[in-house]
Amino acid sequence: MLEAKIEAYLKAKLPTAEELAVANLWRIPGGASRETWAFDARWREGGQEVVRGFVLRRDPDASLLETERDVEFRVMDAVWSQGVPVPKMHWLERDGAWLERPFFIMDRVDGCETNPQKLLFEPRFVQAHSRIARQFVDILAKIHGLDWGALGLDFLGVPASRKDCAEMEIARWEDVVARDSLEPQPVLRGAFRWLRRHLPPPAQRIVLVHADYRTGNFLFNAEGEIKGVLDWELTHLGDPMEDVAWASIRPWRWAGDERVGGLMQRQEFYRMYQEATGLTVNDEAVRFWEVLGNVKLAAIFITGARSFCEGRTGSVMMALLGRNISRLELEIMDLMEV
Amino acid sequence: MRPNALEAIRGVQGALMGVIAPELQSLFVQDTGQTVQMLLESLANEWDTAAETLHNDNRRLSGVLSAAAAALRSLKGPDDALSALAEDIGAGLSAEPDESLAISKLRARNVQLLAFLERTLEACEDGVGERGFEPLAPVRQAIYNHLREVAGRGWSFWDVMSFRERMARLRAGLV
Repeated sequence: MLEAKIEAYLKAKLPTAEELAVANLWRIPGGASRETWAFDARWREGGQEVVRGFVLRRDPDASLLETERDVEFRVMDAVWSQGVPVPKMHWLERDGAWLERPFFIMDRVDGCETNPQKLLFEPRFVQAHSRIARQFVDILAKIHGLDWGALGLDFLGVPASRKDCAEMEIARWEDVVARDSLEPQPVLRGAFRWLRRHLPPPAQRIVLVHADYRTGNFLFNAEGEIKGVLDWELTHLGDPMEDVAWASIRPWRWAGDERVGGLMQRQEFYRMYQEATGLTVNDEAVRFWEVLGNVKLAAIFITGARSFCEGRTGSVMMALLGRNISRLELEIMDLMEV
Repeated sequence: MRPNALEAIRGVQGALMGVIAPELQSLFVQDTGQTVQMLLESLANEWDTAAETLHNDNRRLSGVLSAAAAALRSLKGPDDALSALAEDIGAGLSAEPDESLAISKLRARNVQLLAFLERTLEACEDGVGERGFEPLAPVRQAIYNHLREVAGRGWSFWDVMSFRERMARLRAGLV
């Protein structure tokens, strides 16, 4: 049924395509903030047969976080034009009439994986770790080096000054916790106060922050290539150390040891990042952003748990995540040294 | 009644893994099946001790809050908000205790006490480094000690992945 609706949509978007057919529709696991579907489309155009793989990202019934699909679409479209590896964006549809809910469609990148367990433990990927780590850093440096003003990304909201970046993010997540908590959150409440007492130095420059840049959010292959950076829905303008810290936080060290993203030692990550950007990684600033990163993740889980408890979603993932905030609290208290 | 709740949950997990999972075709449904399995594991791990744990937590929280109220009252200088907090805690602790061991009742009491704890911790954090707030320092530490104990207990899917070494250190008493 969804397949037929997608086919009708593509026919409307590709009026010169003849004999257009959609096949092999399947839902991609993960993508807790949006439903993600892969499909093939085949048509004839100018006497030639065209076969293309696409990915559809559709708004969910309820989400971990109510994020803005337009932001994700516009930013991915903009960074693609600058050579950042992201899938090419095609159509953004705000009208729910086509597929019941708003969605966008982008190119599918074939022959790649995103699963951290595969990346960190399958031998064909283990041998490529150093290459992937290098690209992980270089792509982050490229994102942080983009001229967001020239790309028209100031619609994301420009911080009033470099010193406002941290306080803006504290306020954003404090609002989420206040709005969505179903029970007291003493650790998070204490952390917000700790964060305000431990503000980092002003951002060295205001950059495009991906805000979910980590192992698990990029497409990689066994040749050690990162072919696509995913999940841009939290992107904003801010302090580059926010991304450095987010990539480093314990929840994304999937291997269970201290390596950043399960891929590289922290000092190696910092060294490569500094060389690639000319920025300095300040330990205390990263600590601040790591505390806030864990708070942010807990806040996202709280939103998902509320959606589940209020019956706005039947996703058991939301329930599972909501019941596992305690380890994030432990990490927050470790980092705060309390 | 046998099988009891825990045995029944384990049976559901076994059926999910041994009977249902092999029939699941799509990756998305397989992934959802794994999530259900982890959610059941989380429930199974707290089933037997949930009431006892909440009962003990509420007792400990009452102790921490009682000390907190005393410390708040001992602060010199008028501060209406802190005085009100001390009064609220006192009233909350003196309320007629519900003897029920129903988890919903124990949890309701736990939430009530945690709300006091949250307000107290905010006051402690606001007073860090401030002159005159020294009596709150041991209260702050007692609160975090309790919260750390709660945050490190039980089963979490994180423990077999990203938090593996961290939790091993915790359980070995090294942190």
